[in-house]
Parts: sequence; structure tokens; C-alpha cells
Amino acid sequence: MNIVPEFEFKSQLAKMGYTLPNGMIIKNGRDYSGRYPVVAKVNSDKITHKTEAGAIIVDIKGQEELISSISLLNQKFPGEEIYVEEMARRGIEVIIGLLKDEKFGKLILLGLGGFYSELLRDVTFKKLPITRNDAEAMIGELRYSRIFNGYRNLTTNKKMIADLLVRLSDDFNNKEFQQIDFNPIFLYADSYLIVDAKMIV
Amino acid sequence: MGLEAIFEPNSVCVIGASRERGKVGNVILQNIASNFSGRIFLIHPIAQEIEGLRCYKSVDELPEPPDIAVISLPPEKSVDYLESLGKKGCKVSIPVSGGFGESGSRGKELEISIKKIAEKYGMRVIGPNTVGVIIPRSGLNTALTEAEKSTFPSEGALSFISQSGALGLLSMDAASDWGLGFSSFVSLGNEADVSENDVLELVGRDKETKSIALYLEKINNVENFLSICKRISKEKGIVLLKGGLGESGNRATSLHTGSLFRTNFSLRGIFAQHGIIQALDETQLLDYGMALSYGRPIFGKRIAVVTSAGGVGVVSSDLLEMKGFTLPKPSGAIEKEIRKIISPLGSPFNPFDMTAEATDDQYEGLIKVLEKSGEYDAVLVFALFQTAGVSRKMIDILSKFNRESSLPIVVGIIGGEKSKEILRKVIKNEVPAYPSIDRATNGLWVLGERGKYLGGISNEHSP
Repeated sequence: MNIVPEFEFKSQLAKMGYTLPNGMIIKNGRDYSGRYPVVAKVNSDKITHKTEAGAIIVDIKGQEELISSISLLNQKFPGEEIYVEEMARRGIEVIIGLLKDEKFGKLILLGLGGFYSELLRDVTFKKLPITRNDAEAMIGELRYSRIFNGYRNLTTNKKMIADLLVRLSDDFNNKEFQQIDFNPIFLYADSYLIVDAKMIV
Repeated sequence: MGLEAIFEPNSVCVIGASRERGKVGNVILQNIASNFSGRIFLIHPIAQEIEGLRCYKSVDELPEPPDIAVISLPPEKSVDYLESLGKKGCKVSIPVSGGFGESGSRGKELEISIKKIAEKYGMRVIGPNTVGVIIPRSGLNTALTEAEKSTFPSEGALSFISQSGALGLLSMDAASDWGLGFSSFVSLGNEADVSENDVLELVGRDKETKSIALYLEKINNVENFLSICKRISKEKGIVLLKGGLGESGNRATSLHTGSLFRTNFSLRGIFAQHGIIQALDETQLLDYGMALSYGRPIFGKRIAVVTSAGGVGVVSSDLLEMKGFTLPKPSGAIEKEIRKIISPLGSPFNPFDMTAEATDDQYEGLIKVLEKSGEYDAVLVFALFQTAGVSRKMIDILSKFNRESSLPIVVGIIGGEKSKEILRKVIKNEVPAYPSIDRATNGLWVLGERGKYLGGISNEHSP
């Protein structure tokens, strides 16, 4: 059972055509040339929950702050690579997951809340592979699926979510994995962003 | 294929029958003798006859191989008899007693021997540690419940498969009392040979079975189970009460996805994907089973509520909306037609409240208008018998409508013993009918889920 480092997994996903935040591995804050604000994280195959381990610093607004954040992470996690990525504009947060269960086989999860998913537990599972109809059913099965009709100034569309679920099912049904979290995924009016992705193989 | 013998056996052999009233071996014999019309053979080493039936000394002496054998003896002896029954050519054996795998390693070994005997002779074994089977169509009842203390179920279209014999018998007794019929009941016991998947396949093939209710605690081969359900559910509705929802496979490291899978109700979506509707208690299990047996699938969300009591209409609307249904107003033309039928004091909108002045004819006229209107996907009728204008004629009106109309109907009949008696008659006539608003609206919900599922799989098959 191995954790695939975040940067590697995200690069794979980007190659497969999924939308993710721009990011790069850097040694020093001066090497970063993208937009701010950014997040700096440790790219490790040892840490599953980065926030809990203090392996992530968010909302870094400029180069100076980035330089000091990176040296802080270097001190705490010597020898580990640092991964810097643009912070995403907020959207409707969901978790999508993939799981290989001993009894049920490969499953896909859709849940609300991203960060709060374990608190809300508003989730539904289907067995892989799923059809378009299964994907649509998943969206309807969440207790608070009303959020997909838009909430406050956040909007999204259900067709896009169903497309994403079917596509993940098609892409991962024949791949080897133990568990995958896409958490959170931000949903916007016509696009989505896989903000964080973790895979255990 | 030998399992088919349980539906219409020609002969049943009882081993371990007792003369002593009240003993399990006597109750089982009485239950078989009182309803089963085929040949009954008893095996007893000493007795010449029990309860007026001749006893044979051994299985070898039987004049023919029995279709079914029921064995009520201690574990070791049961296994000895299974060997001789297999040799004789018996099709299905049912060792009822406990003391097998559930009680230790010796018992587990005995279960392995049972499996070997079953395979060696091509005989199927249900159990051990089971209350066996109840098949209303042939009067076969191997259960240990005393006849005068429970209701023998009438013939019906619902097959009930249970991993708990007691929970199965209790809930079936309750449902039989209000008139629900069954096509079969199978208590799986320890499943040394016959598994839930075998019985699912069996009732899936059975022409009398229109829907299937399952109580399962441990699904032995989940992937097989799901694919069998997916296949059967194209034709038959399936409802499952899954005991022990916390159970799931073991995983060492857990991401969020893994830990969310351990939470309750995470199986609901997977079951729905395979045409299985999940119930949360024994009442829902058979309520849902009744809807699937007697009702038509609902393809849509628009419900018409017909009532003679305003409050019943209001509470129904609330519950239906919570379950995702809508109660649209009728078009102007339909409203006009309805006004002609119901009391001027009534409401020609939805819920359609005919007030306490409602009559049988008004009920009949109104549901026919709703049927023809094409404006509703189902109708929920509360037939309330406490007022003067509503009579037993309603039983026929509702039964005929459910038989002949393409508009799905669910009925609510609320009240005391007099209303219950009518509810029983309506259910006997194969109408999905319930004694409360909540249960009636749940009946609609189940038919709506069934409609969604059938609609979804037909989309998948069209290009």
C-alpha cells in the first residue's frame, strides 16, 4: 500500500485531460513565476493528511512570504520536495472518490462538502463502471443535491458533474488503485477544478 | 435445479416427528399435515404411526424418493440421515435444528460434511439451523410456530428470503394478518449448501413471484449477489432490509472515501444501481414488498391525492413533497369536470377533498376523471369508511381500478377494527393499501423508485 505523491498524481491527471490548478515543484521561492496567492505543500509519499501534519501553507500572497514559507517547510520536513500551486477561486465543493472494497469491488463516491464531507456524510456510492444514468442518479441521491441548482453566488451544472463522474469511471475502472480522493473539487458554472487529489495504490 | 421442488412437491418426508404435543418435532409435523395435500412419509425407529400417519423404520424403506425431507434431530444424527436421503434420491433436505457452525468448530465440520453430501448426491440442503420454507400455493409449512398462534399466509406474489428465521416468521405473521399473500418464504439458516444467491435465482425463475423481499445480515458473495439482482430486477422488484450496515471490507489506510464508505446508508446508492430498494425495518420491508407485488411502477412525479378528510390531504401533501413528488393543480377543463362530481363544499384542486359528504360514486367518478386527464402519474386514494356515503362497494371500485387502469394507485384506509377489516379485503384483492398516511406515501415512493429504475435501464438499452 503506497501513497502516490501529490505532484506525480496530479501531473498524471493533467495529462489525462482533467482540470487542476497550475503548479510546480520548486527549491526556492525565487524560482516561482506564476500567479499569487499560492499554496505551498510538501510533496511526500508518507503524509496522507497534510493539513493535520502541518505540511501545507495556504494563502501565500507574494514572493517574500513564499520564500519564508518554503524555508519553514524545509526545516519541518527535511529532504522532502516542495510543491507550489495557484490557489483556486471558490466554487461549490464536492468530494469524488474511488475505492476498491474487498467485498463490493471498485466503487465511486460523490459527496458534498469537500472539507466538511466527513462531518456532513451526505454521500452516495455506485459500483464501477457507471452509466450516465447512474451518474445522474448519484447527483439526485444526495440529501442536499439542491446545492447543484446554485446557492448564493455559486452556480454549477449537473450535466458537467455527471460527465466528470462517467469519465472518471471510464478512466479508472481498469486501473489498479486502493483508494483515490479528489477532495475538494470546486464546481463552477461551466467548469470544475480538482483542487486536491490523493491516490493510494 | 433441484431446489424448484420446494414450490410444488409431491411428497414430504418428516424425520424426527414426535408424538408429544408441543414438541418441535410434533409442531412441524402438524404444520405439514394440516395444509400440505401431497404424500407425507414419516421416519421413526420405533413408532408404528404418529398423528395417524404410518412410520417407516428407515429412509431405505420409503416406497419412493421424497421430494422434500424435513429433519428435526440433533446435528450428528441429522447428517447421518442426510447421507441416506441423498442416496435415496431426495431432492431437497431441510435440517432444522441448531448446534452447527454457530456453536463451534465441530458444528462447522458437520456443515462441511453437509456440503459434501449435497454435492455427492446432487441433493440441495436448506439450512441447517433454519425454520425452513413456507409455500402457500402447496400448503408446505416446515416452520416450528404453532398454527393457532400465527396466521398461515395466503397465496400471493411476494417471495420472502430471510437469514433470520425468527424475524422472517414474525414479520410475515404480521403482514399475513392484514392480508398480504406470499409466493414463498425461505429461511436460509447457516447456508451450508443453499445460499441467498441460489434462492434469489430460484424465485427469480418462479412465475408466481412478482417481487422479492430480502432480510440479509451477511451477503456471502456481494458481486454475484449484485449481478443476480441487476438481472432479476428487470422483471421483478427487489426490496432489501440489510442488517448490520456498519459492515464493510477491511482496509488498512483510509482516505476520506474509505472512511465514508463505513458510514450507515452508504450502500443505498449501490443497491439502487442494481434495482434493489433498501428498507430500514421489517414493516417497511413488507410494505415495500406489497407495493412492488400489487402496484404499478410510477413514471413521473405528479401525484393526485383523493380524500374525504382535509387533514389527511394536507399531511399527505407534506410527506409526498418531502419524498420528491409534486401535487400539481388540475387544468381548468379537468377542474370543471371534477366540480360536477364532488360536493360543492369540496376542493376540486389537489389534494382533491370531497369532504365528509363523499360517496362511493364520487370516489369512482373522480379517479376515472384523473385517469383520463393524463395530468397525473399516480393517484393516492384515502378511502375512509367512517362516513355515511362510503361503503363496502369501495372494495370493488378500488380493486377494479388497480386491475384495469394504467394509472398507478395506492390506497390508504385509516381507522380501527372495522376499517382494518376492509383494508384486509382490499389487500386480498391485490391492491397496495396501507393503514396510515406515512406508510401509504412510502408505498408511492417505492413505486416511484421502481419507475425511475426501469426508466433508467430502458434508456441505457436504447441507442
